Amino acid sequence: MSARWWRFIALTLIAVVVLVPLVAVVALSVQPSLGSAATGPTWENYVKVFTQTNISSWIGNSLLVTLATVVVAVVIAAPAGYVLSRGRGRLVVGFSLALFVIQSLPVITAVIPLFILFAQFGLVDTLGGLVVIYVGATMSVAIWMMAAYFDSIPITLEEAAWVEGCSVFGSFTRIVLRNSLPGILSTAIFSFLLAWNDYLVAVVFLRSAQNYTLPIGLETFFQQDQTNWGPVMAVAVVMMVPPIIVFAVLNRFFSVGGIGGSLAGR
Amino acid sequence: MTADSLMESVRKARRGVGIAGPGRPRRAPRRRPTTRGMTFVLFAVPSVLLLLLLNLYPLLYAGQQSLRNGSLVDAGSFVGLQNYTGILTSQSFWHATEFTVVFTLVGVFGSWAVGLGLALLLRPGVPARGALKVLLLLPWVVPIVVSSTSWNWLLATPQSPVPLLAKHLGFGDVLFLADPALAQVTVCAFKVWVSFPFMMMMMASALTSVDSTIYEASRVDGASGWQTFRLVTLPLIARPTYISWILMTIFCVNDFPTVFLLTGGGPVNSTQTLVVLAYTTVFQDFQTGPGIAIAFLMTIVLVAVSVTLYRQIRKARIE
Repeated sequence: MSARWWRFIALTLIAVVVLVPLVAVVALSVQPSLGSAATGPTWENYVKVFTQTNISSWIGNSLLVTLATVVVAVVIAAPAGYVLSRGRGRLVVGFSLALFVIQSLPVITAVIPLFILFAQFGLVDTLGGLVVIYVGATMSVAIWMMAAYFDSIPITLEEAAWVEGCSVFGSFTRIVLRNSLPGILSTAIFSFLLAWNDYLVAVVFLRSAQNYTLPIGLETFFQQDQTNWGPVMAVAVVMMVPPIIVFAVLNRFFSVGGIGGSLAGR
Repeated sequence: MTADSLMESVRKARRGVGIAGPGRPRRAPRRRPTTRGMTFVLFAVPSVLLLLLLNLYPLLYAGQQSLRNGSLVDAGSFVGLQNYTGILTSQSFWHATEFTVVFTLVGVFGSWAVGLGLALLLRPGVPARGALKVLLLLPWVVPIVVSSTSWNWLLATPQSPVPLLAKHLGFGDVLFLADPALAQVTVCAFKVWVSFPFMMMMMASALTSVDSTIYEASRVDGASGWQTFRLVTLPLIARPTYISWILMTIFCVNDFPTVFLLTGGGPVNSTQTLVVLAYTTVFQDFQTGPGIAIAFLMTIVLVAVSVTLYRQIRKARIE
């Protein structure tokens, strides 16, 4: 057997072991609970979860927060990434260093003062407050990702446009952005994952049950009834399906490799 | 990763990479400096404002509040360095520091080793490569809340599947989350499980940028697989490796959910990291001053370290 088939077998075995926890989630979610009439796989846990918990409102909140984060993050990060990619000089280097330092700051340090600040503006326990923090949290990586992609677009196209009298803004929107769909998608996927999966910010900022996002909903649900795994895992499946779909469909656009390049400069 | 390799070659081509290595990056043309500069400033303004609001303000506030005995609703009064002396003399702080270091070292190098190994196995040519890659990325993609719930189900009580299996194999009662030392191991293992896909992506993209003819050359020269890896591959991916270590160190030190959701810092605080300690001090013990002081100390250390590392990366590039 050739080496590539040995690699295939090794990878398959590793994948099987690694995915045990995720397969367990799915398996438990379709397992009938004690005293149920069903014997094989069943939807009863899902029915129970959708009729007896606020899961539809958790899903709605999570979707709203995540989509808002993705759109705002891309809109803000794209032009900043362009500056990082095309700009030269002290200010740009300073900007780049600031992004790196900010990325290294512990979220917890920001969360406590922001909680106090947001309380004064009535932003605690609102989904809008969450979006502001998520967009901020994605910024460094989002800007690096956009910059990394812009680097792959030859500047000659823009130079030609400038000679024709096009403004920098015009060349950015009409030439660069138009050719940057993979970079934009990569940034969008990253901010999607960050916002959809976040636990820390949500647990600090969300207080009332109607504002819960899925992670907080799942966690409170889990705390209430630690022995009844079926419904808990049904919520978990609902929560992990969207990121998995996004990744399965768009994974060829997603690249973290560029982060290193833009971080270290060109 | 095709976009990556393309990007890399375009970048190299633009630099005019020769035998002597990459030259200096080409300067951007200084066409219409004023309007161009103005547009750049406008482009950067939204992100800069947002980052200032969300980082500089909290930092200043935290610095000032760490010197006071306030609470979440009240600014309190000035107490000098009392919060800091309190922390620095408390055992729980040093214990959390110690575990944070262990957790970070295991998290960084564990996930790097696994990620690099998998990236090497995933080199082009393997059947069903795309599907395998997506499957192996899942631990990183799935929310921590979900995976920690699952790990809890698998490990938490003596009746959970893995302890039962261990018992059948003759290991006796293995308390993965109840025994302090074992809980530390479990938390570190969980972190590696969550993080290796990120390293796998970083390393896979580093490996694609290595020119494949160099492997042929070393084979012709009679190098074994291990020699090729150690003497050719590793030096060629040294820079991306270094950068990925730095990023992962930051991710590990600042990690909250991985530890908090699996063990809550227990048993008997054995898996408490600094972030978890800061969180519980503020939001469970309601001691805002000391909690903020912990977070602020961490921040100062991280900023100092990250600026130093950043300088090093930049310097390495020029050499």
